[in-house]
Amino acid sequence: MSAGRLFFIFLIAVLLLPPGDGNGAPPLPDPQKLKYPALTFSPPEPQRVELENGMVLYVLEDRELPVVNISAVIRTGSAYDPEGREGLADLTARVMRTGGTRSMTGDEVDNLLEFTAATLSLSAGTDAATADFFVLKKDFDRVFGVFADILMAPAFNEKKLELAKNLKIEELRRIADVPQKLAFREFRKVLYSGNPRGRLSTVESIGRIEREDLEGFHRRFFSPRNVMMAVSGDIDGREIVEKFRRHFGSWRGDGPVRDVPPPGEKLSASIHYLQKEGPQSTIIIGFLAPEKKSDDFYPFTLLDFIVGSGGFRSRIFSEIRSNLGLAYSAGSYYEGRTGYGVFGSYAITKSDATGRVFARLQEILKDVTRRRVGEEELLWAKRSIVNSFIFSFSSTDMIATQQMMIEFLGLPPGYLRDYRGRIEAVPPEDLLRVAVRYLRGDRATVLIVGDEKNFDRPLSSFGDVRKIEAK
Amino acid sequence: MKPMSLIDKRTLLRTWLPLLALMATFVFAPSSAPACDLEKKVRKYELENGLVVLLLERHVNPTVSFYIRHRVGALEEGEGLTGTAHLLEHMLFKGTKTIGTKDYRREKKVLDEIRKTGNALDLERLKGEQADKKTVERLSAELRELQTRAKGLMVDNEIDRLYTENGAVDLNASTGQDLTTYHVSLPANKVELWARIESDRMENTVFREFYSERDVVNEERRQTVESVPKRKLMELFLATAFKAHPYRRPIIGWPSDVSSLPIDYVERFFKTYHAPNNTVIAVVGDIDPAATLKVVKKYFGAIGRAPLPPLRVTTEPPQAGERRVELLADANPYLLIGYHKPALPAFDDYVFDVIDALLTRGRTSRLYRALVEERGLAESIDTANGFPGSKYPNLFVFMAAPRHPHTAKELEDAIYEEIEKLKREPVTARELEKVLNQFRADLVRDLDSNRGLASKLSYYEAIAGDFRYITGHLQVVESIRPEDIMKTARTYLTSENRTVATVVRKEKP
Repeated sequence: MSAGRLFFIFLIAVLLLPPGDGNGAPPLPDPQKLKYPALTFSPPEPQRVELENGMVLYVLEDRELPVVNISAVIRTGSAYDPEGREGLADLTARVMRTGGTRSMTGDEVDNLLEFTAATLSLSAGTDAATADFFVLKKDFDRVFGVFADILMAPAFNEKKLELAKNLKIEELRRIADVPQKLAFREFRKVLYSGNPRGRLSTVESIGRIEREDLEGFHRRFFSPRNVMMAVSGDIDGREIVEKFRRHFGSWRGDGPVRDVPPPGEKLSASIHYLQKEGPQSTIIIGFLAPEKKSDDFYPFTLLDFIVGSGGFRSRIFSEIRSNLGLAYSAGSYYEGRTGYGVFGSYAITKSDATGRVFARLQEILKDVTRRRVGEEELLWAKRSIVNSFIFSFSSTDMIATQQMMIEFLGLPPGYLRDYRGRIEAVPPEDLLRVAVRYLRGDRATVLIVGDEKNFDRPLSSFGDVRKIEAK
Repeated sequence: MKPMSLIDKRTLLRTWLPLLALMATFVFAPSSAPACDLEKKVRKYELENGLVVLLLERHVNPTVSFYIRHRVGALEEGEGLTGTAHLLEHMLFKGTKTIGTKDYRREKKVLDEIRKTGNALDLERLKGEQADKKTVERLSAELRELQTRAKGLMVDNEIDRLYTENGAVDLNASTGQDLTTYHVSLPANKVELWARIESDRMENTVFREFYSERDVVNEERRQTVESVPKRKLMELFLATAFKAHPYRRPIIGWPSDVSSLPIDYVERFFKTYHAPNNTVIAVVGDIDPAATLKVVKKYFGAIGRAPLPPLRVTTEPPQAGERRVELLADANPYLLIGYHKPALPAFDDYVFDVIDALLTRGRTSRLYRALVEERGLAESIDTANGFPGSKYPNLFVFMAAPRHPHTAKELEDAIYEEIEKLKREPVTARELEKVLNQFRADLVRDLDSNRGLASKLSYYEAIAGDFRYITGHLQVVESIRPEDIMKTARTYLTSENRTVATVVRKEKP
């Protein structure tokens, strides 16, 4: 599989500018009528290499600074946590980093990395784990072997596992100290209920995890066909591939793992309430949304931008913050993943405005399922997304990592080249169509975290309410 | 010294976590070789009106980052008027006479009436119990009606729309004790758009939606302070550590001040302190410096100088005895310890940068190894130099969360043991070398970001008076000897110079 040609030209702004409204005062030009030179840019193209054991590597040279960056992505994550052992992916990643390797203790690894000012982080998300490594070029040969050993042959020292478990348990104990953190964590549980992604770690599940669990989890997921890497910086392409071959060439393991089934479709709406004392409520309304590979990804991206992620002008922000003055944080987010997507809209407001703000959020979401988005608003969203696309290429590391992720996610090789064109081509009726399909009021998952005795109206006036407890 | 990063103007989901942290610090990067290079590459100009402009070319990709820093912050606010600098920062997103209006002449008439009515309403409300309910109701109704009329004459959030539509990212602003900052990154062909908007709002900001924005700030306060015990503790801690100097006051403002901030005062504050002779601009990225300077001159050059009033700042008297304060809350224990110390460019401030790294930078740092790993007392431990501001003598702060069942007291005592070690035993050459290596690497790393560079250049130009503070930093740090660290620790990290604040779990009745 080839990464595809990355060469394309940025030619924006000039063609897209509309006629201004002729309203500017004489001394200053109307900002809507400013003329901009064309912007051209051909991002450098990383080279794709496949090692004999199946490990895929993207390589991009950049001599600006004497540094080397490596990003790795691993097909694993908390979605793969066994039932009753929630938190295993997270602990595995943490203790791989801290628990030493076949040739060094964890403390020796830390001493070497920190003395050379190299950084290495490893973390597990829901559907993937990532590793990021930074090192000055002069120290590369001293430290690269450590990076390789941590991925291939971690030692999982018992003491470091104990420490990681203790810290994780304390972290869980402290989640409710920050109400918004609590709210978004609980929201995941209710949105993904019945799917592994909705099972999150607890003090009990962490307590059950043992060293053998980590070893088994590592064996299952950390293997050459289940990992991809991107290396960039002050390197020689051929030389670096040789170094990867030397360190990773003997790595063996099973083929790529299968994806965890996506969360099941919601068949009904639900309102969940979690009692928490404090001056404010967090209100979240969420839906399952199109996956990244779907054609609906593009219209839904625009829809989300207009509804709540497009800054001050987006509808939720503009109404709930600017017009009503009822929130500091309000908006929406959308992420298309493999096999599914997630959309959430939210506002954080004072307790006695909870009912009012919840109702406004519902109305804003309902409106996009009933009325077409206006031409001008759609044009604004398209221009915004297309014009800021250039920032996806802000550093060499980012460019290399992005190519790797395209292959990792199974996106078409021309994904980046075609992205702007596909956004621009979305017709207004498609936004209405995806809104009707994905933002159905009778399938909304709602979570409200707050103190109902201070609400302006009872939640029961919105429908059946399920009280939940944080665990 | 790590500047505190302050209060963000807007919060989208991604920025929540950094906002919830006590401070989003940027670790400052000192250095030698690449830094000298940097010194040569940065072009510095001063326009006739006093505006300082720093330009740096980087042709990695066609984008540019812009930072504007005004030398004004919460420090300059009068008594009873806390929160002014921060509310003003919000007002700068409301547009100008030519951006965000449908017909400014008509709109202005309504805005003037809003101002009159709003002032009368505030004055009545300030009477507290004596306020006349009927008058309050009448004025509130009038204000609502006027606000609806004004709404019809304005264009909502137009600055944000213009920027966003043109591909802007990282559009935000922040208010600190010392500085107020506006920043954005744009595709490289949009330099003129930035100059057009920023020069206009620096001079012609129109105070639209002033009264509803005060409500937004109250929500911001509920969300970021009142709902989060460790943030609330920070406020209490600063009010305890500083008794006289304005660093004792919260940037976001005390609730009663914010609720009645007078629009006229906020506007006067704007006219006085957002003047070009009080401002530093940094532009970093894919630019042609000569052409960029021309655009900057064209748009910013016409803004008039303003006389800066002499600033009378009370000096904090030396602390003579430990101060302790606690916050009862339905939350896990949390601990803050702070020591007064001098501001940059005092030699001791550099020494504290080293102490900061020795104590908490990375897993091999002293406090992490001892308190988190070996003794298991802490869930997290961090330190910060330069709190809550950098311009005036400030604090060196420890922030720590005990791990259950260990108590804040156990953790506090363990921190003191490490401080005593710092006073007693010289740091080894290898430990010091590690810290220097980290500082050197930071600098190289930081060169990889337009935004990071623009932020740092403008920050040190505004705070230290010269961006070359960055390049000189490592030289000073490299000269620090183990005895210096012991001496600084002995001088400042003493019990009578410290303030301790803790979150204590409130027992349920």
